[in-house]
Amino acid sequence: MPEIVFDNVEKSFGAVRVLEPFNLHLDDSEFTVLVGPSGCGKSTTLRILAGLETLSGGEITFDGKPISHLDPKARDIAMVFQDYALYPHMNIARNMSFALRLAKVSKSEIDDRVKRTAELLNIAHLLDRKPAELSGGQRQRVAMGRAMVRDAGTFLFDEPLSNLDAKLRAKMRTELAEMRNTIDKNMVYVTHDQVEAMTLGDRIVVMANGRIQQQGTPEELFKSPVNRFVAGFIGSPTMNFLDGELTEADGALRVRGDGFDLPLPEALATRGRAHAARTVTLGLRPSSVTLDTVPGAEIELRVVVSEYLGAQSVLVTRCGDEEVLVEANSATPIAPGTTRAFGVLTDELMIFDRESGLRI
Amino acid sequence: MAARDTNAPNPAFYALLVALVVMSAGPIVLMLATSFKLNVDIMSSTAGLFFMPTIQNYETALCDMLWYEVEHIRRCDPTFGRALVNSLIVATVSTALTLIIGCMAAYALVRFRFMGRDTVSMTTLMMRMVPPAVLLVPVFGIWTFQYGIDGTRMGLILIYTAMNLPFVVWILQSFIVQVPIQLEEAARMDGANPFQTFFLVVLPLIKPGLAAAAIFTFRVAWNEFLLGNALADRNSRTVPVTIVNSLTEYDIDWGVIMATGMLLAVPPIIFTFVASRQIITGMTAGAVKG
Repeated sequence: MPEIVFDNVEKSFGAVRVLEPFNLHLDDSEFTVLVGPSGCGKSTTLRILAGLETLSGGEITFDGKPISHLDPKARDIAMVFQDYALYPHMNIARNMSFALRLAKVSKSEIDDRVKRTAELLNIAHLLDRKPAELSGGQRQRVAMGRAMVRDAGTFLFDEPLSNLDAKLRAKMRTELAEMRNTIDKNMVYVTHDQVEAMTLGDRIVVMANGRIQQQGTPEELFKSPVNRFVAGFIGSPTMNFLDGELTEADGALRVRGDGFDLPLPEALATRGRAHAARTVTLGLRPSSVTLDTVPGAEIELRVVVSEYLGAQSVLVTRCGDEEVLVEANSATPIAPGTTRAFGVLTDELMIFDRESGLRI
Repeated sequence: MAARDTNAPNPAFYALLVALVVMSAGPIVLMLATSFKLNVDIMSSTAGLFFMPTIQNYETALCDMLWYEVEHIRRCDPTFGRALVNSLIVATVSTALTLIIGCMAAYALVRFRFMGRDTVSMTTLMMRMVPPAVLLVPVFGIWTFQYGIDGTRMGLILIYTAMNLPFVVWILQSFIVQVPIQLEEAARMDGANPFQTFFLVVLPLIKPGLAAAAIFTFRVAWNEFLLGNALADRNSRTVPVTIVNSLTEYDIDWGVIMATGMLLAVPPIIFTFVASRQIITGMTAGAVKG
């Protein structure tokens, strides 16, 4: 359970820079989620931490001790792979005990630990089978069991749920969240699914293009994203972005664009005034748009599609040429094709510099 | 009518089939029949399919290995028995050596990055293009004058291993490439060093490749004549060499030669059957998501 510090770590494959130099501090017994779109460098970061890739610069320390020169086995790390990577010629019990057998743990202790872990994961009845005879979900459990049985200080998960179907994924996600509370270890989890990141992570690190965009608790990322990318990545349905301009009228700062003209709340207006740029992008969460009209803060939207999800509906609407998603209570039926005014909760508005993408 | 025309068996087709079967199976049948005949039957001008089968020829060939006294021969000539033992030792040991060295070399060529890797890989294959006849003179010279291992089984084992190695390396490379790299990474994470990764994870998964390579290697080592003839002496001769050497101008014992020929054919068949049971598909099923 070391305290893991990335100090100016960078990685290039030949001439291609896949990770810009970055610093990252993972506290003891913290569940960290690295999240980002494909090719953002999150898996590479994990593999560097695991020792499967070498780093091109910088250093990683565990409790202050540099470890980047060490073999994976010397780092006290267990890893769950995206596509399970079970040894197909060994049965489940032998798969799980492989590391212990290599470490020359006594046979009785191996049996004991395998049995205990298998019971914890509900795979005790599968111990004699081969991986090929198992379903995807069962294989995933075995892969996790293989990591857990070792009792390593740090657990790494490389998109462990991405090969499961939606229902199983939700179930395993819950189980993982439960496991996180009972196991006192460092866990680093890589995913491209922001829902997984939000539900599991104590700390989320959002990555894109080989850079860390932002790190923080799920709430911090949702409520105060540093830039447009993070704002668009975190939250479901995704945030709407509308290009507009800041204008001053009657002492109030407003953001005006094609089909909307909204007042900004005082705090945001102060920051907006201090900001030189006038061309901005308005960020509007689907949940910030309501069916009830709000006096003075309204937006005219034409409903294109209504996606019924049960209690909630997601309305796909148009504001000018831009698409705007609205999360609405499905009790009020809205027919596609109608144009009506929606209220906007201006307190939840965000504005971004259109050039740099940074939040103002 | 049209349908009947296309489906009608063409007599010429059957004639061709029969001709091919006779060509391929005929010599074997002839050898089998001859091996059960006495020399008088073999040489008689009225030779045919009707004769009294006897195992005398086999008894003669194996006389020093049988548990009972063979009555019909005055003196037991151990040549054929000795040749069979030589062949078995040479073929088995060289096959084992080839596989051990070959699988490790193939693994290194596939997984490790080092300077000249592609060159080594290519050269390996090119070695295969050199005909044994070209090797004959230099190998004979080196084996005889430099190392003095001519006329030993060791000398034969060495050259057969060298001859088969390129092919084995080449065929095993294609099997090793198919082992998912994640398995090896998982093994590394589980604390395996490169040797443990190779022997405990990779090797069991390329068993079909090893079996295919073993069949090939064993057959080549078993049947090889040219180098065997040049390098072996009286005590280390293999069966093919012995058979040819027993065709002298004074006496040709066809019955014993044919019996030895039949015995020569048996071990590769057994070996192939045993080894081919290992060739099963889907070894890596369940390892990673397909």
